[in-house]
Amino acid sequence: MTVAAGIGYALLALGPSLSLFVSVISKKPFLILTVLSSTLLWLTSLIVLSALWRGFLPLKSTSWWPYGLLIFTSVAFQEGLRVFVWKGYMRLEDILNTFADKVSKPRLYLTDKMQIALAGGLGHGVAHAVFFCLSLLTPAFGPATFFVDRCSQIPFFLVSAIIALAFVTIHTFSMVIAFSGYAEGNKVDQFFVPVVHLVAGMVTLINFASGGCVIGIPLLYFIAILTLIHCGRMVWRRLIGNGRTQGNL
Amino acid sequence: LILLNFGTSGQLDSMESVPDLQKAMYKFIDGYPCVRLLNLSGVIGCSNPGREMVVAPIVSYRSDKELSQSSAVLVSLDEIESFFTKIRNDSSFARNIAGVIVESGIEIQKNLKGFSPTQKFPQAEFAPYQTTNYEWNPIGSGIMWNEYNFPVFLLSESGTVTLLEAATKNEKSNKAYIADVAEFDLVMQTTKAGTHDSESCLKEGTCLPLGGYRTRTLIDSGDCVGSVWSSLPPINVSSTDQSRPVLLTVASMDSASFFRDKSLGADSPFSGLIALLAAIDALSFIDGLDDLKKQLVFIVFTGEAWGYLGSRRFLFELDLQSDAVGGLNNSLIEMVLEIGSVGKGFNQGVNKFYAHEAGVSSATNETLDALKYAQESLDSEHIIISPANASNPGIPPSSLMAFLRKNSITSGLVLEDFDSVFSNNFYHSHLDNISNINSSAVVAAASLVARTLYILASGDTNISSSTLTAINVNVSLVEELMDCLLGCDPGLSCELVKNYITPSTTCPSYYVGVMLDEPSSTPYLGAVADISRFLWNFLADRTSIPSKNGSSACSQGCSKNEVCIRAEADGKGVCAISTTRYVPAYSTRLKFESGIWTVLPPNSSDPMGMSDPVWTESNWNAIGLRVYTVQDPGYDRLVLLGGISVTVLAYVAIVITRAFITKALKRD
Repeated sequence: MTVAAGIGYALLALGPSLSLFVSVISKKPFLILTVLSSTLLWLTSLIVLSALWRGFLPLKSTSWWPYGLLIFTSVAFQEGLRVFVWKGYMRLEDILNTFADKVSKPRLYLTDKMQIALAGGLGHGVAHAVFFCLSLLTPAFGPATFFVDRCSQIPFFLVSAIIALAFVTIHTFSMVIAFSGYAEGNKVDQFFVPVVHLVAGMVTLINFASGGCVIGIPLLYFIAILTLIHCGRMVWRRLIGNGRTQGNL
Repeated sequence: LILLNFGTSGQLDSMESVPDLQKAMYKFIDGYPCVRLLNLSGVIGCSNPGREMVVAPIVSYRSDKELSQSSAVLVSLDEIESFFTKIRNDSSFARNIAGVIVESGIEIQKNLKGFSPTQKFPQAEFAPYQTTNYEWNPIGSGIMWNEYNFPVFLLSESGTVTLLEAATKNEKSNKAYIADVAEFDLVMQTTKAGTHDSESCLKEGTCLPLGGYRTRTLIDSGDCVGSVWSSLPPINVSSTDQSRPVLLTVASMDSASFFRDKSLGADSPFSGLIALLAAIDALSFIDGLDDLKKQLVFIVFTGEAWGYLGSRRFLFELDLQSDAVGGLNNSLIEMVLEIGSVGKGFNQGVNKFYAHEAGVSSATNETLDALKYAQESLDSEHIIISPANASNPGIPPSSLMAFLRKNSITSGLVLEDFDSVFSNNFYHSHLDNISNINSSAVVAAASLVARTLYILASGDTNISSSTLTAINVNVSLVEELMDCLLGCDPGLSCELVKNYITPSTTCPSYYVGVMLDEPSSTPYLGAVADISRFLWNFLADRTSIPSKNGSSACSQGCSKNEVCIRAEADGKGVCAISTTRYVPAYSTRLKFESGIWTVLPPNSSDPMGMSDPVWTESNWNAIGLRVYTVQDPGYDRLVLLGGISVTVLAYVAIVITRAFITKALKRD
């Protein structure tokens, strides 16, 4: 498939992350640090999951439920980890605010908190893309392409990149929704994220069916767009609503 | 990566790592190549046209269909001759041939009547008679003697299945932007260097001469193959009474084919070799061989298929009285009996063989009489030996030709299973395998030869039948030799071979190979080919008499007339008295000097050398064939464009959103 195609697939999966990084994250060193540590943390979580499941793999099963179980446990683990991340973030916020008070600088604004959440989510998304897409991409730089029997219309690497892009979107914006939900105590937002993560994971099981990727991938993008819209609405509500409240004050 | 199937359209025959994915994408195909060979006037064989790999979509050959683009053509074995004829005659068809892949299959083999890619009179230029247009091998198409500027591979059975699938996929596929392609790596150094004949390529060091030294296989095990000779009983070299006349019995151990690594030669010449080995085995049990009037000497040549290299070099060394042939006096050779192809002699319950005489002399008449006498003693075995048709122009292609060209009054006889025309329909092809011969014919020939040799050596015209009936060929030995030397199961890892040597391969192939090192009569044994080492040990074992000090281990070294037998098998080996030696086999027109091979000018004292094409094989780095799916370059560019546009669009969207939020915040 050559170098051109290899770069193309890499950009498909991680291009938007790169754009986000360049336009938003790179302006603030703290956010860069957040992205890096978040990527590291979530990569570690994926490695731990691999280690835990190593003994049971490969799952030589024709039915979908062992894979369903695999996805369920992995999602549960990651969502549990997210709560810990939130707790860690709370402590970090306190430290930062205390420091700001000490040097007579303003405390974290809502936009700052959202940007930190965004950086955290971006780290999660990049970890997913690296683990599930980039690591397989090396053969794509050679002359051959590859088609999987159950999805014979689209090259394997293209499928991998598209799915990775969807998950990057979901993870990036999920973190913003989750942090907002924990901060406000909004149950809807708090449950939205794990449910969306689980549903997205399960939707990929549709790809096991022959020709399933034709249905599975659009469904996955539907979920990604849903996440994006929900995040947008939440941000709008909090920022603009917040502004109005502040303005009224 | 363990969760590779997670979130992808995973296959249940799952890959567990990126190397697995790579293996699934690029399928290496088991195949046998046709390589580039050179002679003094030009080249033959196959090569990639340049320094690069050849990549082309796979297409099945159909005689009525034209090729629309440069393709890798998949040809069935029964169409191969018409295919190559079409290439010669139709240049527009030939232009679109990027590479050729030949199918393999037991079914095809069963239905094929014959296939011989060599000439109709193989090695006619060496014949000791003028009728060089006589067709010993009428089926011969001569395709292996042409030059092809594209790679040609023969597939294994598994490879055939893969490629047929790929060809069908290409045909059925309605997507124009993907195709299954074959990538050929058959880059030959002589093509890269532009040296197109033996002399220039030897000078530039881009090729090596054919001969009994190193066979480069694709899994380079670096084997040397040399001729082996042995005498029964051992010649007492120190004794001055060396005047017993010698009966030389000859066979050969190399074959040729269009595909370098698939030269089995079951009928031609291995059936003769196996018959010889069985005859020697039968004779080794007879007492009193020392008291016979004549000395029996056996020799197995290699390189015979490529200009009678073994026999010519042997005669050359004999003239020089070199170490390799120490103990043998040229003038004492009374008679040369060659055992040619004997494996197809069995027909409707009768084993029929033909004796091709080289001229008429008292020695050949004596041999014919001995053969008849032996035949009578083997009455129950339904063996018939007849002299060859008098209208034949002379002896068939055989090592005896080298003896006759050297000395036209040599008395000699070639034993074959055919009269005027080869009965082997797969002469010098990759299909001359074990299914092409019959063990009972080999056993019959071995019995005939064993008893004939005894009769001749005793010089007695009236031997008692009881003496002769004691000479019996071991039928199970013949069958074991056939299974070991002509098949892959058990192949060279069989008990018989492992008893003498530690084989490096299981599946045998008897292409003569190239000479890498300096020729010597005492080669470094680690570099000698399995077949030569096996023959040497087998012959040494059968012709030996126990050492004077009892059977001592070789660890303390063996004394002067002794050799170390089974050195590899038990790890120690046993010393025994035997005259068994290796003889290098390479062209008499070549000389190895300070690390370079040079071609000597033709010499009238070496008439065969004057017609010797001096075959060399081009050097090569790696040879292989792989198959993978390729997509149109336009598609690749589209993907790159897609990736870039997604990135840019995302950037634009983020910038707009940020501006929007900032403005909205400011507004409030």
